[in-house]
Amino acid sequence: MSVIDPIEQGLESGWSVTDGASLTENRTVEADVVVIGTGAGGGTSAEILARAGLSVILVEEGGLYHQKDFKMDELASYASLYQDGMSRVTRDGAIAILQGRCVGGSTTVNWTSSFRTPEATLNYWANQLGMEDLSPDAMAPWFDGREKRHNISPWTMDPNTNNDILRQGCEKLGYSWQTIPRNVKGCWDLGYCGFGCPTNAKQGALTTTIPGALENNATLFYRLRADRLVMAQDRIDHLLASAMTEDGVTPSGVTVTLKARHFVVAASAIGSPGLLLRSDIPDPYNRVGKRSFLHPVNATTAVMADKVEPFYGAPQSIYSDEFNFKEGVDGPAGFKLEVPPLHPAMAAGVVPHHGQQQADAMANLPWTQSMLALVRDGFHADSPGGTVSLRDDGSPVLDYPVSDYLWTGLRKAFHTMAELQFAAGARKVSFVHMDSAWYSSWPEARAALDELPMAPHRVRLFTAHQMGGCGMGQKPEDSVVNSFGQHHQVANLSVHDASIFPTSIGANPQLSVYALAARNSSRLASKLSN
Amino acid sequence: MKHHASIPDATSDFTRLDRRSFLKTGIGGTLFLSTVSTSMALSGCASSPSERLTAVGTRMDARYRFQFLTDTDIEIFEALLPAMLAPVLPEQPQARRQVVASTIERIDSGISHFGPPNQSELRRLLDLLGFGFTRVTIARVWSSWPNVSTAEADAFLRRWQSSRIGLFNNGYMALVKITNVAFYGHQDQWPLSGYPGPPRWAMEALPQFNNA
Repeated sequence: MSVIDPIEQGLESGWSVTDGASLTENRTVEADVVVIGTGAGGGTSAEILARAGLSVILVEEGGLYHQKDFKMDELASYASLYQDGMSRVTRDGAIAILQGRCVGGSTTVNWTSSFRTPEATLNYWANQLGMEDLSPDAMAPWFDGREKRHNISPWTMDPNTNNDILRQGCEKLGYSWQTIPRNVKGCWDLGYCGFGCPTNAKQGALTTTIPGALENNATLFYRLRADRLVMAQDRIDHLLASAMTEDGVTPSGVTVTLKARHFVVAASAIGSPGLLLRSDIPDPYNRVGKRSFLHPVNATTAVMADKVEPFYGAPQSIYSDEFNFKEGVDGPAGFKLEVPPLHPAMAAGVVPHHGQQQADAMANLPWTQSMLALVRDGFHADSPGGTVSLRDDGSPVLDYPVSDYLWTGLRKAFHTMAELQFAAGARKVSFVHMDSAWYSSWPEARAALDELPMAPHRVRLFTAHQMGGCGMGQKPEDSVVNSFGQHHQVANLSVHDASIFPTSIGANPQLSVYALAARNSSRLASKLSN
Repeated sequence: MKHHASIPDATSDFTRLDRRSFLKTGIGGTLFLSTVSTSMALSGCASSPSERLTAVGTRMDARYRFQFLTDTDIEIFEALLPAMLAPVLPEQPQARRQVVASTIERIDSGISHFGPPNQSELRRLLDLLGFGFTRVTIARVWSSWPNVSTAEADAFLRRWQSSRIGLFNNGYMALVKITNVAFYGHQDQWPLSGYPGPPRWAMEALPQFNNA
C-alpha cells in the first residue's frame, strides 16, 4: 500500500513555509491578504484567495504535524495537536473543550463527520434572523462544491460495532437513523481519526486546502501567534504576531509584523473573538464574544454482551436525528445522537471516577459502547449561549452557564441514550455523571436518572463544536459581521469560521464552515481582484 | 466577599462563605486560591520544578527532567496515586515504585503542554494541597503527604468528588483526569483496559513506523 503525504511532497518542492520557532529576528512581511488560522475556515479561504491570484499569508499558532507524526498514539496526539494539551475547559471547569491546535485546526483531529447545515437551521437564520441569502437553496451549490473538494459522501463500509449498536437501538425502538457522510478518500477504517490520520485518507484542511493554497504561492507561518490587529484610522493596518519556541506554548520574543490590504480572521469561536477583543476592534454594541455556542454533549456508557472494541473502525458512521428538530426548531432543546470512539486515555479521562470503580470500568473497555448527544443551543430565548472574554494574560476564556432549558434537554438525552442501549442488548448502563452507578435494567436506570442532579460538575459535559462569538446578522446592533462574514465596522476585516454562526448548527459544523468560508471567500476574492 | 493577605482570615472567609453565592461566583474560588499562592510566595514557599525523581526512589534511569511539578507536587501524587489507581498498581514494591514514578513523569510531561493559563490554575490547586495549613484546613488531610495512607488519600478524593462545592469537584476532576489519562493511556497499562494497541498490519504498512 503506498501512501502519499502531500505535506512532505510540498515541503520538498519548495513551498513557502516558516516555523516560527526558527525565527531569530523580528521581521515584517506583506501580502494582499493575511489569513489567521488554518482550520476549516482559514484553509478554505486561503486556497480560494490564492487561486484567485492574490498573495496570501497564513498564520497558525500551533505546529505543522503531518503523516510522519501521526502514529496512532493517544498521549502524543493529545499533547501536541489539541488546544492546551487537551486540557481546555470552560471558565468554571464544567465543560471539557476538544479543539485542534495545529495546521489544519480541528479538521486534522476530528472524527470526519460532515453534515450540511440542517435545513431547519438555515430556514431559522433566513426567516427569524433575516438572512435569506443563506436559505437551503442558495447554499446548496456551496455544499455541493465543498463535498467534492473534501470527498464527502455517506460511508459505504459497514459501521463498527460501536456505531452499529446505535443503529440497532433505533431499529428496536422505531427511531430514524442514517449513515454519516465522511470526508475521506481511501480510508483504511482504522479508527484513529482523533490522533491525526495516519494514512492521509482524511480530506481535512491539512491534505486539501492548505496544500492547495501553498501550491498557489501562499505563505504559511506556523508556531506564530496572532496577538493584535492594529488599526490605522478606520482600517486594519497590520497584525502583530509572536513567534513561539519549539515547545509551542512559550513566545520566543521574536515578533512578526504582517501587513495586508485585507485580514481574514479564522481562529475559531474562542480564538477569533479573543483576537478581536485583544485588538480593541470597534464594537459599538458590545457584541464580540457574546452568544457563544457549544452543542453541550453528554454521554452514556454501556457494557454489552459481545465485544464492541470501540477503539477500532471509523469512529462515527451512524447517527440519529430523531430528536433533533422533532419539537420545532425553537421548541424544547433537541439533540443529535452519535457515538464517540473510546481509546484507553480518552475513556479514562471521560469516566469520572477513581480506584476500583475506575479500574472496573476500564477493564470492560472492549465490551463498552458509548453514545453521545449534541444538544442544539442558541435557538431559544432560554439558551443565550456563553461569553468569550480575556484573561489577564490576554488569552481567551469561555464562560458558559448551562441554562435550565439545556439541562432539560440533557436529561431527556440521557433518558433516550440509556433506553437505546438497553434496547440494543446492553447488560448494564451508566450515565457519565459523578453520581451515577451501573444500572442493569432500563427501569432501574430510568428511576435512577429521575434522582440524578442535572448540575455543573455532576454531569460530565464535553464539546468539540465551538460556534458563535462573532455572530452574523443584518443589524450591527445585534451582530459582529454581515452574512458574508464582512465586519460591520471595519471594511478590511472578515471573519470566516464557526464564530460567525448566529446559533449552533445542530450538526457537526465542519461542512458548514467549509461552505460558508468558500462562499464568502469567493466574494471577497472578486472584490479584492477588481 | 473580602480577601485578606493573611491565610487565616482568607480561610475563615472561605468557611463562612454562603455556599450558593460561592457557587455562583466561580471567581471566588480563583481569588481565594490566588490569595493562597501569593501568601506562599511571600512566606518564601515559592515553588520551582523538581530536578528529577531520585534514582534511589524510583530505581529508574532518572534522565527525565521535570518541567512543572515541584518536589512537593511529586509527594502529593505519590500519595494519591495508590488510591486513584487501586487496585491495578503492581503490589511488588519496586514494580509499584516504577509505575508510580513513570506515571508522575507522564503527568508532568502532559501538563507542560497545557499552556500558561491552565498551568497556573493547576499551580494554585497543587500549592493549596502542598501548603501545610491549607492541606489541613481545606483538603482536611492531616498528615504531611509522604505520611498519608492510601485510605486517607481515598477519603480525601471522595470528599472532593462528592462535595457540593463546585471548586472541589473541579479539583477532584483535574487530579483524577490527568492521572487516569497518563496512566491508562500508556502502552504499559494498555492490558488493563484490554486495548491491543493500533492494528499491527497497519503499522507494518505505514512508513512512519518503519524509520525507527
